[in-house]
Amino acid sequence: MTAPELIKKIFLIEILQGLALTLKHFFMPPVTRQYPKEKREPFPGSRGLHALVRDDETGEARCVGCGLCAAICPSQCIYIYTSEGDDHKKIVDRYEVEVLRCVFCALCVEACPYAALALTDHYEYSGYTREEFYYTKDMLLENWDKYMAGSKGKDYIKNFWGPKSSYFTGPVAAKDKEGLEK
Amino acid sequence: MLEAIWIAIKVFIVINIVLIHVAYVVYFERKVIGHMQARMGPMRVGWHGLLQPIADGIKLFFKEDIMPSAADKPIFYVAPIIGVIAALSSFAVIPFWEGFSIANLNIGLLYILALSSVGSYSVILAGWASNSKYSFLGGLRSSAQVISYEIAMGMSLVGIMMFSESASLSDIVNAQSEGWFIWTQPVAFFVFVMAALAETNRVPFDMPEAETELVAGYATEYSGIRFGLFFMAEYAAMFLMSALLAVCFLGGWRGPDFWIFSAVPGIVWFMIKIYAFIFFYFWVRATLPRYRYDQLMGLGWKIFIPLALANIIITGLIKIL
Repeated sequence: MTAPELIKKIFLIEILQGLALTLKHFFMPPVTRQYPKEKREPFPGSRGLHALVRDDETGEARCVGCGLCAAICPSQCIYIYTSEGDDHKKIVDRYEVEVLRCVFCALCVEACPYAALALTDHYEYSGYTREEFYYTKDMLLENWDKYMAGSKGKDYIKNFWGPKSSYFTGPVAAKDKEGLEK
Repeated sequence: MLEAIWIAIKVFIVINIVLIHVAYVVYFERKVIGHMQARMGPMRVGWHGLLQPIADGIKLFFKEDIMPSAADKPIFYVAPIIGVIAALSSFAVIPFWEGFSIANLNIGLLYILALSSVGSYSVILAGWASNSKYSFLGGLRSSAQVISYEIAMGMSLVGIMMFSESASLSDIVNAQSEGWFIWTQPVAFFVFVMAALAETNRVPFDMPEAETELVAGYATEYSGIRFGLFFMAEYAAMFLMSALLAVCFLGGWRGPDFWIFSAVPGIVWFMIKIYAFIFFYFWVRATLPRYRYDQLMGLGWKIFIPLALANIIITGLIKIL
């Protein structure tokens, strides 16, 4: 063992360095966020509670019941029931999401060709029963009104989760996108 | 008779003050370690978590006192009580300020060393009586640790006794009126600080507890207030060791004797020194990982005991010359 090594060992230089490091951190401000007191603004495009987009013109859900979202959902938590109405029109009877099973991957939002579905930035919801987290169509539409009011929802879809199909397909889809942007 | 009442009052006051300090030392530890890890520590109970120790105490009191069916019951019950008695009764000889100690024993130093050994009995007995493998390993480690550290600890104080020519703690403090013993006995100071860490089962020598290896070591099977008693004993012992360090090496209640400082009462200096050492304990805990078991034994037998012996010989030579 060389002399410097010996000195290093005898005077515990490395331990002293470690102590200096922890002391330095002792005087740094803590990084803790006192959660219920100080809340962080959700980042734009964050994925929270589900909502069905309410169309401004009709005032109804934009969903047409194609079932793509339910097909792509990895946790199989979207249930859609449709029936045939007048003039062979497809009617969405029930659109239900079992939120407790959802993994918030937003594949459903990406899959939707009509931008009829969104994950809002609302993330603070809790309850005592499982039934409270079984969201029906009306509840999902209500979520849109509550958490995506005004231009917030439109910006959300336009900037983050709009239908990607408009990038690749013809004028019809492009028109659709314009319609969204209006 | 009157004197007995007076002593009883003193004992009552000292024990209560020590216990309040022990409770808040836990808070202090959580704050210090929290800030060293860029956290905040307790913040919710009271202003900046100041009522946290009280909440913890209430919780420990009302938790169920679980008794393992295979445990050795009388010893299981008695073990934590031994620990608390040993830790708290050592405070009898600590001179808190000039002329104040419950008993000014002329063998105060020996008394404290003896009681701190009794304190480790509580750990060993708890480990044995719990009849659990984790507890037993903790107890065994504690006994091995005690025999490797108490020797070095006792011998590091021999130099102090040589210089002050007394084992009474107030005499030791008075002998430091010229200069603190930390300057004349640096090696003994180093050995004693390390031995005190091992003696109170603190990181990096917390073998008997070793929560990453042994669940909670000797306290694994304990719950409720019995666990709380172990906790109390550990922190009281830490407080005691810091007080002993302050008395033996930093001049006890003596502060700087000039300007405005000479007006500050001795107890304030004493508390400042104690809390400096306690801060050091927490600081070390936030920094170092645990020593391996055999490394700890090697450190005790191969380094600290020879160091303490050499210190005794050199101190004796200086004393003769």
